[in-house]
Amino acid sequence: MKKKKWRRGMAYGMAAVLFAGILTACSGGSEGAAPAGSKVESGQTEGKNGYPASFSYWVELDGDSAVSMTNFNENEAYKKLEEMTGTKVDFKHPTGGGTQIQEQFNLMIASRNLPDVIQTNWLTVPKGPQNAIDDGTIIRLNDLIDQYAPNFKKYLDEHPDIANMIKTDKGDIYAFPFIREDDRLKVYYGPVIRKDWLDKVGMQPPTTIDEWEQVLTAFRDKDPNGNGKKDEIPFLLEVGAVRNDLLNSMIGAWGILDKFYQKDGKVYYGEIQPEFEQFLTTMHKWYTEGLIDKDFAAVDGKLKDAKTAGNQLGLLYGYSSGTIGKFTDLMKDSVPGFKMTALPNPTLNKGEVSAAGMISPTYPGEHSAAITSAAKHPEQIVKWLDLAYSDEGHMLFNFGIEGKSYTMVNGKPEYTELITDNPDKLTFKQAQAKFMRTQYGGPFVQDVESFLQQMKYPEQLDSLDVWSKAKNNLQLPLMTLTSEESSKIASIMNDVNTYSDEMVVKFIMGTEPLSNFPKYVEALKSFGIEEAIQVEQAALDRYSKR
Amino acid sequence: MSSYFTRLCRDLVRNRAVYFMLLPVVAYYVIFHYGPMYGLQIAFKDFSPAKGIGGSPWVGWKHFESFFGSVYFGRILGNTLLLSLYSLIFFFPTGIIFALLLNELRSGKLRKAVQTISYMPHFISLVVIVGMLFDFLARDGLINQVLGYLGIEAIPFMRSPGWFRTIYISSEIWQSIGWSSIVYLAAISTVNPTLYEAARMDGAGRFKQMWHVTLPGIIPTITIMLILFIGKFMTVSFEKIILMYNPVIYETADVIQTYVYRKGILEADFSYSAAVGLFNAVISFALLITANAVAKKLGETKLW
Repeated sequence: MKKKKWRRGMAYGMAAVLFAGILTACSGGSEGAAPAGSKVESGQTEGKNGYPASFSYWVELDGDSAVSMTNFNENEAYKKLEEMTGTKVDFKHPTGGGTQIQEQFNLMIASRNLPDVIQTNWLTVPKGPQNAIDDGTIIRLNDLIDQYAPNFKKYLDEHPDIANMIKTDKGDIYAFPFIREDDRLKVYYGPVIRKDWLDKVGMQPPTTIDEWEQVLTAFRDKDPNGNGKKDEIPFLLEVGAVRNDLLNSMIGAWGILDKFYQKDGKVYYGEIQPEFEQFLTTMHKWYTEGLIDKDFAAVDGKLKDAKTAGNQLGLLYGYSSGTIGKFTDLMKDSVPGFKMTALPNPTLNKGEVSAAGMISPTYPGEHSAAITSAAKHPEQIVKWLDLAYSDEGHMLFNFGIEGKSYTMVNGKPEYTELITDNPDKLTFKQAQAKFMRTQYGGPFVQDVESFLQQMKYPEQLDSLDVWSKAKNNLQLPLMTLTSEESSKIASIMNDVNTYSDEMVVKFIMGTEPLSNFPKYVEALKSFGIEEAIQVEQAALDRYSKR
Repeated sequence: MSSYFTRLCRDLVRNRAVYFMLLPVVAYYVIFHYGPMYGLQIAFKDFSPAKGIGGSPWVGWKHFESFFGSVYFGRILGNTLLLSLYSLIFFFPTGIIFALLLNELRSGKLRKAVQTISYMPHFISLVVIVGMLFDFLARDGLINQVLGYLGIEAIPFMRSPGWFRTIYISSEIWQSIGWSSIVYLAAISTVNPTLYEAARMDGAGRFKQMWHVTLPGIIPTITIMLILFIGKFMTVSFEKIILMYNPVIYETADVIQTYVYRKGILEADFSYSAAVGLFNAVISFALLITANAVAKKLGETKLW
């Protein structure tokens, strides 16, 4: 009897649990389908001194921050900002990385479940920033900035060229931008070589593609890591970085960029040029000779780190802090004599300067904060975001808290040991991430001092000089497209990129013979690459007229 | 008619606990399967989030036309069909064979052990399974090391278009062989023992008993499972492919659903991907109907 009762109770219990499960699933489902009017996420209320009492802010939680926090509310700079304004910011961080963030962003926009502020690269969102304004996703900021953002307005008035960059062709300002004003902030990526290996094989730092080949061959044959095994990976080629407009790895040696570029105001597409075939031919030769990592087609950050930390990799493309600084920190004890230095961007002929290397534009597009149509009091949020462009905000985002993360020495801010030599064994950038945002980016003007002081080792400082030696006159400016142009480019480039991602790797691995290169060019043309070039040309012409 | 409703009402009251337990299932289908069909109209529209599903302008068959005209149409359709066909040929029979083999095991303990071990992979997350695949099949992974001892040069399994289907299907078999045999084992246990006795009397050995008694006994179950399988013919394991593939093997690994994912979710071209998804669903639906009709013709077993 007792048992039966128990069973019955159990059955009702189960049913109730199931039902509750459905109910929660149900409310989740209807939330996604909520019409534009019901702002579930926007929790903005009125605040004091013209600042909002609270608002929601969608922003990626970068890797260096994720080490010590789960939410930007734990960041000292934002804590201080809350003290100053009384504003409680509800940070919403997407989970995962890369395409997962892209996915969450697109779904958020499509579901109209908008937070008040979205920080992302608005230049690369589907259909572009102008469309986002026209669609009513984000709002035009020009008038609000004139009225409520005195600091940012002052900055734009003093820098009319930058004011130009952050606008659409129509003249709309769509976001509070991340600005790399000083030229020394713009170059931080390039070829990195194991100097100790180079010394071991008795060679000079290579500058031309031919010299690269000789050094890589020596790395392959002469056992520079000295473990008696032929396990060296001479060079890690990352096709993604070659095909990246910002990084331009390798390709500058051949005098072109991989995708769209311009020469004397005329737009070209790199992958259909004969120079690109030469590039593929060389890379294919290196691959067959075992100079390029066999896994290069499927390499990711983790694998790259593993190969570098495994004392196997001789030459790679990397960052001044993220690669040279990080691995020198990591390896100097375990591998005696470990030394990484920067190599200049390679060229075809001795004494030349590479046509292009990595260079960030003054306004890179990324880390820019736009206000959405969900915000009830955008003017208050404008006032809050404007703080980052004031002197006080500038120090806060670039150096953190005075007396804690930095001290003033002879009128100049200097990071304390908490940052440079963190007691919790945090790396420089990880320590910075607890106090400021300069190590990653955000809507403020980056201070060159905050960047130079990251350079703990002389090799890091040298790298900035070495890598900046490139002509860099092929890159297109950051043009904005109309929404029709954007969708046209998107549809053409989707086919092109899918095909090229596949074919470039196949050409290098040799599964597709290089004699088929003309066919590849034909295929790109059939996808409409020439039409895409015309669109870019029109956008460039408009940009030059701004 | 009214008597039907009175009967229904009476039944509802009498068996309220059962209906109460059914409610979540009904709600699930209404909310997650029938509700979203409202949104299917965006396949015929130029969907813009700002205008909403209802407010976006109609564009007719535009997205379907551009999909059928796309360079990748043939490839992704072919890949989807081939992958399904291979799993029908190689994967589908494994559960049946495994169940028949298990049935022949005399030792109860051994049988339990084999069953438990073979179910186990089913409970491992797909992410972990694919992670294991990457580890085992890496250049310096287990398989390549074994091949190395045999003097065979390392094969870049996860980066060879030619290997993708083999890896996909065989890992599928490894993961699901035990699980998919459960339903057949259940069917086998319903076969009347007197039939075996009779067969033994007639001098049938164990193989003959299996062939002439067990197998015909579970044919109805096999048919139902086959119809259900064909209904899902166009639905390959999308998550698994997403985890496994990279641009180098798009040639064989890119299927309709991964294409929809890249187009729709990553590039925010929702209308286009809705059109592709709808196309996929219509084919599945047609296949299911056909399979059921054929089964009806051939025998008595059918879904409806």
